[in-house]
Amino acid sequence: MTIHKPMPAGQVGRSLPRLESREKVTGRADYVHNIRLPGMLIAKVARSTVAHGRIVSIDTSAARQVEGVFAVYTGEDIRKIIPEPYYGPAFHDQPILALGKVRHVGEPVAVALARDAHAAEQAAQLVEVVYEELPAVFDEVEAMDSKAIVHDVLKPAGTFPDLKHLHGKKNTNIALDFHLRRGDVDKAFAGAAHLFEHEFHTQQVMHTPLEPMVSLAEPTRDGLTIHTSSQSPSFVRIEIARLLGWPENRVQVKVPYLGGGFGAKLYIKLEALVAALALLTRRPVKWSLTMEEQFYTISKHATTFRIKSAVDAAGKITGRSCAVYWNGGAYADIGPRVTQKSGFTAPGPYDIENVAIESYSLYTNRPPAGALRGFGIPQLVWAYESHTDLIARELNIDPVEFRRMNILREGRPQATGTAMKDAAIDLVLEKLAERMNWSAPFDRGGGTVRRGRGVGIGFKASISPTTSVAFVNIYADGSCALYMSTVDMGQGSDTAMAQIVAEVLQVQAESVRVIHPDTDVTPYDMATLGSRSTFHMGNAVKLAAEDAKQKLEAMARSVGVPEGSNLETREIFKKKYGMQAGNVMGVGSYIPGYKSPDSVSGMSDNITPFWMIGGTGVEIEVDTETGHVKLTKLVNAADMGRPLNPRIVETQLSGAAIMQLGFTMFENMEFDAGQVTNASFADYKIPGIHDIPPAIENHIVLAEQGGGPFGAKGVGESATFGVSPAIANAIHDAVGVRLTDLPLTAESVLRAIRLKAGNPIGD
Amino acid sequence: MNQHAKAISFVLNGSKTEMLVQTHENLVELLGRLDLYGARESCGQGLCGCCTVIVDDVAVSGCLYPAAFVDGKTITTIEHLDHDVQLSPVQQAFIEEGAFQCGFCTSGFILMTHKLLEQKPMPTDEEIRDYLAGNLCRCAAYPEIINAVKSAATKMART
Amino acid sequence: MISFELAEPKTLNEAIALLDAEDPEVRPISGGTALMLMMKSGVFRPSRLVSLQKVEADYSRIERGSNGSLRIGAMASLSQVEHSDEVRRVAPVIEKTMRHLSNVRVRNVARLGGNLAHGDPHMDLPPVLSSLGAKAIVAGPSGQREILIEALFSGYYETVLKRDELITFVEVPPQAGWSSSYIKCTTRSADDWPALGIACSLRIEGGSIGDVRLMISAATEKLTRLVSTEKVLRGQKVNEATFERAGESAMAEAEVIGDSRGSASYKSELVRVYVRRALRQAGLGETQP
Repeated sequence: MTIHKPMPAGQVGRSLPRLESREKVTGRADYVHNIRLPGMLIAKVARSTVAHGRIVSIDTSAARQVEGVFAVYTGEDIRKIIPEPYYGPAFHDQPILALGKVRHVGEPVAVALARDAHAAEQAAQLVEVVYEELPAVFDEVEAMDSKAIVHDVLKPAGTFPDLKHLHGKKNTNIALDFHLRRGDVDKAFAGAAHLFEHEFHTQQVMHTPLEPMVSLAEPTRDGLTIHTSSQSPSFVRIEIARLLGWPENRVQVKVPYLGGGFGAKLYIKLEALVAALALLTRRPVKWSLTMEEQFYTISKHATTFRIKSAVDAAGKITGRSCAVYWNGGAYADIGPRVTQKSGFTAPGPYDIENVAIESYSLYTNRPPAGALRGFGIPQLVWAYESHTDLIARELNIDPVEFRRMNILREGRPQATGTAMKDAAIDLVLEKLAERMNWSAPFDRGGGTVRRGRGVGIGFKASISPTTSVAFVNIYADGSCALYMSTVDMGQGSDTAMAQIVAEVLQVQAESVRVIHPDTDVTPYDMATLGSRSTFHMGNAVKLAAEDAKQKLEAMARSVGVPEGSNLETREIFKKKYGMQAGNVMGVGSYIPGYKSPDSVSGMSDNITPFWMIGGTGVEIEVDTETGHVKLTKLVNAADMGRPLNPRIVETQLSGAAIMQLGFTMFENMEFDAGQVTNASFADYKIPGIHDIPPAIENHIVLAEQGGGPFGAKGVGESATFGVSPAIANAIHDAVGVRLTDLPLTAESVLRAIRLKAGNPIGD
Repeated sequence: MNQHAKAISFVLNGSKTEMLVQTHENLVELLGRLDLYGARESCGQGLCGCCTVIVDDVAVSGCLYPAAFVDGKTITTIEHLDHDVQLSPVQQAFIEEGAFQCGFCTSGFILMTHKLLEQKPMPTDEEIRDYLAGNLCRCAAYPEIINAVKSAATKMART
Repeated sequence: MISFELAEPKTLNEAIALLDAEDPEVRPISGGTALMLMMKSGVFRPSRLVSLQKVEADYSRIERGSNGSLRIGAMASLSQVEHSDEVRRVAPVIEKTMRHLSNVRVRNVARLGGNLAHGDPHMDLPPVLSSLGAKAIVAGPSGQREILIEALFSGYYETVLKRDELITFVEVPPQAGWSSSYIKCTTRSADDWPALGIACSLRIEGGSIGDVRLMISAATEKLTRLVSTEKVLRGQKVNEATFERAGESAMAEAEVIGDSRGSASYKSELVRVYVRRALRQAGLGETQP
């Protein structure tokens, strides 16, 4: 378990089971999915069948004839409630229902409402839409200068300063271009002993939370209550209020547990439509997606990454250029943030004097892409760690040794100029080398089964600057509750945050009640994303608990309790209020420092409050007759500072790595003219119990995060980083072939083996 | 009553229940009408196991099971396992081993584990994997789930 | 899904009478796992389903004949077949196949007859039963007929069954002297539908192949018997060289189609490898007493 020394109260660092364990094993945990309200209508949408087209007409008459149908609405009806019905966190580009034009197959065009879901579904299928098809663009590199333009005019939301210059731009699909220049990369290339250039690709994949997205809006006396499976209740409130032109306080957003999120349920997804429908009908309206519909809603960016490195005679990387193209799909969602934030670290965790980065967020006519467990980092690590391995092999240097020679050490500036601090990259690498027994001889197999091994390491800047607020309320009997808008979607935040409160107040974590996000009750939080909660909300919670403690101590003093007395809390309240009455309310608010990157050079000396570090090592077997790759060992290591709950953290590490294993080996959204052809679990396969390797190890390195609550920082994404390149590197090690496109299917492995053998397989 | 509706009676978690169901209704929808939400539709194709329900002593995918077919049958859902307040050894083992994260698939895994251990009280790793191969966990708590099954088997052997 | 009439006959003849030779919107439903999928996705919109749940008892028995044959009621659930001692004694390859056939819940509900009548080329039982030489007993308005399982399928999700015919039993002939294997290949997750299934039965006489049945599924439009490759095998010694030649022959013979599980040319490679491996497994395995 933990290698860290225990904290004084013994609460932080304790591997207690999740607080909600009993609810979850009895099937009684609250999910939005469980909510049924009197008079509630069920919404089902009709979706676009073309990738890019002008809407000529929409005929809802047959749909309205279906028995039990309450109403059928189109985008024009939404305008009665919301005149400018476009939403989104980075761009106000996404219509609640299509208006005038559709931009991807599966885009919502009309909605049918009925008491019965089957009736609504039947009606939605009967909506007749005539389209005039427009030329479409699907590839991210083609989108750079395609004649097919997805959005006539760019409409940045105004929240992010680096998007302002795009306002009103026409004839472009570029939704953000991030550039970074450090040193002189051209000079480095010119003077290099060795030059290496490669191009890597990743495919579009989907989060597939097992609880499909669901939102329910109910009209209240003077506003709306929205129950939603969302990772960002505060953002939903702000965005719905903006759309309606209301003050925030008329919109209440409530979030119970989430059946998985992984970035799919961020910002705003179904909420705008149910809000509009609840106001149109004056009835509660619930919209639950099917698994299939999720594929049309949000996904992970496909990417093209061109990377070039200069290496000197001693094996030191002296220059690196990175050009990354992010396939953002038809609506920007949070893609521009992914483009910039991950752009910071595109050259990898290496100490490189001369760097050039270009990172482009592109509109295409595919379903939208957003954040998925890593905020773009896994796509980058895939490329730079494959590239790193190729260089090492070419130079005949052991891949781990080559990394040691070039790794970013503590205090050294990273590409943006921000110095590495509390970033145990070296410890993660050494832990992998140790657990992989790297320096020992390796059994390479024989016959038709060849064995190989590989590693990959990566790092990530936090999403900054963002704010978290928490309340800790001590009740008159001494019990307490934590009010926060962090969403527990399985990562264990309720438990970890209760442990922070418990450590400060010196109580048992199990006794801390955690109040779930309810924007009428719980304070602001930017969102549960990007592994930010442990650090940001953790700090806010710690501050709130400390504030409560100080206020309680002050109250004790005010009623004459001597310093150092161990009088019970309930007795202090009694002395103050004469009976069991009153509250002590602690407030904590946290925003870390941050400096925006320079608009020209892309440089900043404070790009992130903390670094996430993760790495993976694998051993594999390749069947040289079929191309099948079998993982026999998977080792994950991460720097998460001090783990608040080591057990939960280890589960997070293996869970993240196994999820990335799916994205590496077989998950792939397949398209035909923009239509996803495998939008179901029958044809989009995710890892099952037979797909996990027999040996999995998860290691927490001995580190401490300065400024983190009790030295902790986020960890939910770290074990995704190294998986894909580790496996590709191991395949290279086993059979001498290099794959540059994900997923690493058996077919692509066999094709490469046969090509190398001079006996290629036909098309 | 039209010919697309059917009056059925069945035993649900120990209680006799009578209902009118539509022919196109599935078992998860029927349970939802009775405010039982532990069986949930996720993939909708019988592949993920979130909708697992026990019908006449065998596990079925509620999302692919016509509600009308439960006529005359006995149904047990996850909500019944702690009917005497005590958690079952399987439920306890899932908590102790941390065998879930978001919890959405957990009902299914627990019911399947109960059926597995009835058939094979001390399953091997391979038997556990084979039996649970039709249940998906996107949080990928599979290693912990395997540990929980083994731990539950040991608990049950002791009693 | 839209609602439909659900008929629940008590006898086989009533059930057949409720079916309609002409109307594709009327179909029998046994376990319902496959039909529910088709109805949920809107591929199939029935006007009437004829449930076989209540005629089940007569047609779900599994019996072993005195000559070592096997007679399985079409309404037996797949898990009944999986756990039957009679089945294991006659054809252990069926039990082995069942372990990785779909999943436990589907096996609990899906019925043997429905599984065959569905006509899905990715199913595991059709190749296995065919390689065992099994036949289906089919009842219709004009009486009974017998169809070899290998001849049951006429195309992608198509069978030779008439709309008002029902499979009542599956009969597996005695397997004494035969040795069988089935291997399938998944190319994405382990629980994916197979990209390829190869079933084979060998009758080995004095170190040579006396007779053989070799079936390919999943990679082809429908279940197919590899007749030419069988000819290559008959009379040959049971050894690697024979298996190798058979693999090459099967690769040339099978009309493989590409899909998201692999291109046609890749699957052809798989055919060569998997035919060899399936033959090896059967050839080196024990023959049935």
